[in-house]
Amino acid sequence: MTSARVLVTLATFMIVGLQIALFTQWRFGGVVVFIIWLWPVAVGLTGVTSLALFSGVLAGVLFDAQTATPFGLSALVGLALGYMSSRLGKEGVGDLDSAAWWVTPTIAAAAGGAAPLFYVISGVVAWDFSLWRGSLVNSMVVNAVAFFVLSRPLTRLALALCAPAMKVRR
Amino acid sequence: MASDRSRRRLFFTGVIGTLILVTIYVSGGVVAGAKSAAHAVVYPFSWAADFVARPVGHLVAGVVNYSDIVAQNQQLRYELAQATMRADENASAAAQLRLVNQALHVPVVSSLGTVMALVTTNSPTNFSATVTIDKGQDEGVMNGMPVMGDGGLVGRVIDTSPHSATVRLLTDTGSVVGATFGSGATSVLVSGQGLNNALSVTQIPITAALGVGSLMSTNGLQGGLFPPGLPIGRVSKLLVNPGASNYSVTLTPSANLNNLSYVDVVLWEPST
Repeated sequence: MTSARVLVTLATFMIVGLQIALFTQWRFGGVVVFIIWLWPVAVGLTGVTSLALFSGVLAGVLFDAQTATPFGLSALVGLALGYMSSRLGKEGVGDLDSAAWWVTPTIAAAAGGAAPLFYVISGVVAWDFSLWRGSLVNSMVVNAVAFFVLSRPLTRLALALCAPAMKVRR
Repeated sequence: MASDRSRRRLFFTGVIGTLILVTIYVSGGVVAGAKSAAHAVVYPFSWAADFVARPVGHLVAGVVNYSDIVAQNQQLRYELAQATMRADENASAAAQLRLVNQALHVPVVSSLGTVMALVTTNSPTNFSATVTIDKGQDEGVMNGMPVMGDGGLVGRVIDTSPHSATVRLLTDTGSVVGATFGSGATSVLVSGQGLNNALSVTQIPITAALGVGSLMSTNGLQGGLFPPGLPIGRVSKLLVNPGASNYSVTLTPSANLNNLSYVDVVLWEPST
């Protein structure tokens, strides 16, 4: 479990690095793709809840440090996505090897569509009612499409990194 | 194997933890230290990703857009020549204006010092419109200073570190700037509507002399948040609904906020 946690931590740092260096610059339809939210979904689909929650919070906190938006909100969204996907992962839904090829991408796309909406709703917690004025619909659509495309390789990576923890679980 | 109950407990512990973080942030607590620590942790990874990906990105963009770049270069040369000519023509008028404004004790941007800065990072999220620049406290950049670039006001410095600063753009939903137009008789508030969106303007009575293309600039009020006369944007849509007593105005920023490379930080401290 410890080695899996170390690997997931390193991978999370790299994911946040990629988010800041690349995905911030590559805007599709004028909006940013949030792979920091796809990552906990991918880890969650392996079924290891604690790592999914950990990666969601870590990626969110590290990302929130780079932005002017309320600190902790991205972490809250990452946490929720990690938890929900790990529930599915635990039931074997989204298993890359046994389920149909489109199951994982569809789950990820649903998460990608819901995440920006959840973020904006969470803004109420931070007493920030202005977040909805951004490109919410664009953000939902673009992230859903991007999550659909990127989910399989990222879930494959998560499976490789979480393998030690999955063995312990079994 | 963790039970469902322990997983749920872990989840709710995480939720409470993040809510505490958000609460500390909202109440203005000590989050700055945590933010800069997280910044330092992420920096090597983002630097490495950028180091590897940037040359590849430039190569691909160069190959794909070569003919466009050549055409754009010619266009820019022509525009530069035009601008140089206009600048020469305006030099004497500007000098006269400066003398008049000095006599009236009105601060003029051209008489204030500026620090040129490179935009290093665009807004990393869809929910705020900010950029990071490569100049900070050590170069004299302080919180609240206006930032100009590309033909108009870009925004305002909201966070500084020794060698970088974060600038909140005019289009950010939290940005509000006092503005005026024409003879300066009417003051309005210009607020951001999110990245890539036009600016909104508070109600302007239809008796005001305003048309599409009218320039709005800072009014110097708001307790001196901005010096007067900084161009903000031009009216792009002007509607008068039947029976209404106010214009419905949409403003396009003078500066191209989607394509900033260099900006000037005006060394102006608010309420000085």
